[in-house]
Amino acid sequence: MSKKAKQMLVAYGLVIPAFMVVMLTVAYPILAAVIKSFQDPKTGEFTWANYTYFFTDPVQLKNLLYTLYVVIMTVVIAIVVAYLLALYLRFTKSKIAKTIGTLYLLPRFVPAMCAVYAMITIIRDSGLINRIGLLFGKDIHLGMMYHASGIITMNLWFNIPFAALMITAGLGAIPDSIIEGARDVGAGKFKTFTSMILPLSLKDVVVASTFVFMSNVGSFTTPYLMGGTSPKMLGIALFDQFNKYLAYNRSAALSVIMFLICSVSAFVYIYSNLKEKEWEK
Amino acid sequence: MKKVLALILALCMVFALAACGGGAKQEAAGGKTKVTLWATGSDNVRQIFETLTSDFNAKNDKYEVELQFMLSGTGAQSLADLLTAASQAGQKNTDYDLVDFSGDDWSKVTNLIGEEQFVKLDASKLPNAAGVAAKSSVAPDYCQPYRGTTVILAYDSEAVPNPPQTVDELVQWMKDHPGRFAYNQPGTGGAGDSCARSFVYNFLPEEAFTSTDEKWIAEWDKGFEFLKEIHPYMYKSGGSIVYPAKNQGTLDLLNQGEIDMCPNWADMVLSQRASGAIKDTIKITQIQPSFTGSLQSLAIPTFGSHEEGAYAFIDYMLSPAAQEIMVKQMAAIPLIDVSGMDMTGYEDLNDLDVSSFRIQSIGGLSTSFNERWDNEIATIG
Repeated sequence: MSKKAKQMLVAYGLVIPAFMVVMLTVAYPILAAVIKSFQDPKTGEFTWANYTYFFTDPVQLKNLLYTLYVVIMTVVIAIVVAYLLALYLRFTKSKIAKTIGTLYLLPRFVPAMCAVYAMITIIRDSGLINRIGLLFGKDIHLGMMYHASGIITMNLWFNIPFAALMITAGLGAIPDSIIEGARDVGAGKFKTFTSMILPLSLKDVVVASTFVFMSNVGSFTTPYLMGGTSPKMLGIALFDQFNKYLAYNRSAALSVIMFLICSVSAFVYIYSNLKEKEWEK
Repeated sequence: MKKVLALILALCMVFALAACGGGAKQEAAGGKTKVTLWATGSDNVRQIFETLTSDFNAKNDKYEVELQFMLSGTGAQSLADLLTAASQAGQKNTDYDLVDFSGDDWSKVTNLIGEEQFVKLDASKLPNAAGVAAKSSVAPDYCQPYRGTTVILAYDSEAVPNPPQTVDELVQWMKDHPGRFAYNQPGTGGAGDSCARSFVYNFLPEEAFTSTDEKWIAEWDKGFEFLKEIHPYMYKSGGSIVYPAKNQGTLDLLNQGEIDMCPNWADMVLSQRASGAIKDTIKITQIQPSFTGSLQSLAIPTFGSHEEGAYAFIDYMLSPAAQEIMVKQMAAIPLIDVSGMDMTGYEDLNDLDVSSFRIQSIGGLSTSFNERWDNEIATIG
């Protein structure tokens, strides 16, 4: 055996364990699920029925639209709040800003389950807010528990710090000289923002949005504990199909549908990354 | 290099074989005969069995019971599979001396290997069993029930001084107090399953309760109409009717005072009340026709080795001392006369009559049931 061939063997030998792990635990299950999603549960023959079910059954269609509503609301509110927070942290040099700058990441260190239960005890109809209201003679029923508004609020708790972290990093990369330059040629605060800061940070906003979007499409814990009976978010609908109805082919189809929804945002992410490279040329 | 490798491999094999040898049957310390007890379930079941076996071992000078416990849902081979394998391989004198079964496990195993693979129990060897009224609904001659649990109606006695006694009274109460009752979504916890199914099966003949025959599906319509009829009076939040997920979901609502009544497991309510997790004013009662419950039983496989020791442990489990431990540690419903036992904190259990237990096992039909409930009841909004 030549020396080169030996080196090749060693190289492949080093790569193969990792490659096999990915193939066996990621690629193979995905492939198997895609195949299953096109099979009839009884005969195993090719069918579209598993997919058409989710787009024609009124209950399932409602679940799909409900999920998109919750996720899009989460993305929009989280990004706007995170952007404002990031702007404040970037351009204000006070003690308060510094404190907020250290504290805003705290939610990421609270375990998800604890955070959800903490939120429930505050917003439920008999929760903290209701009890404070009772002290002043007002019986406040927020109605957020078992409702989309509760799920969105909880999602914001998880996603604002994350989005703010990404956007703050982006804003931090904008040199002060650019802003001073804009000021020098007579741009006001608003003009500086719209023509300098916003375009330069737009890519980070897009990336943060795609991440928030993807991580919420399949969310489970929050909607399971805080969501209503119907409609349900897709993560719960998938759990029902798989664990309650034992409809494995439909579960596979729903997984593929969720994957496709996420891949739209993955596409946006990749596209915005490529675009930047062109701009850098 | 090759030689070294071969040597290491050989050594490994020797050790492995030696380890196997160590697993062979042994006499327990102190000249007692070792009896192996096989059980499966949640962690609270493991704890109770550890307490009970050590209590038994301290009191009995002939036998030493060793617990082999498998935590449910851990993906390990199930007890039913192990027993089936041992039986079908024609093994004799194994260490499956005594096994613990719920009603469902028992039907599963007997379907696979038949009840004649178990010892037909001899009443003369179980003097304590004379005081037990409850009988297993399947193969009562082969398994001995020792504790029960059932779904009951949990209520806040401050808000509801006189709880309903029948389903009709309960429905009338719901209509008088809209939004103050909830049951959890079927498929997310046994209490909701039991509640929805009892309400539907109350319209069906009694035999349907323990039948897996698909012909009963056609008869569900009346029951589902009933569930639709009571739907508008259920708990509301955010403007729509809500059926919380999990048994704990409704119990939390009850504890917070958002509802006044819900179906739940007797043991769950009582042990949480005893530990102070929920209010003292929460009490339990049973309505007629009742919600469903289940009995836990012990059985002796014929292919075990220590039949006499197994009998001794079963008899111990029916003694007042053992029953009291089960009441105190897991709020289990005792199956013997409680007059000689200390029931402080668990007095509610006295009122639950195990002989009127309704046991339900509809097997695979539950999947269709849950799907229909999700599509017809959950979506009314």
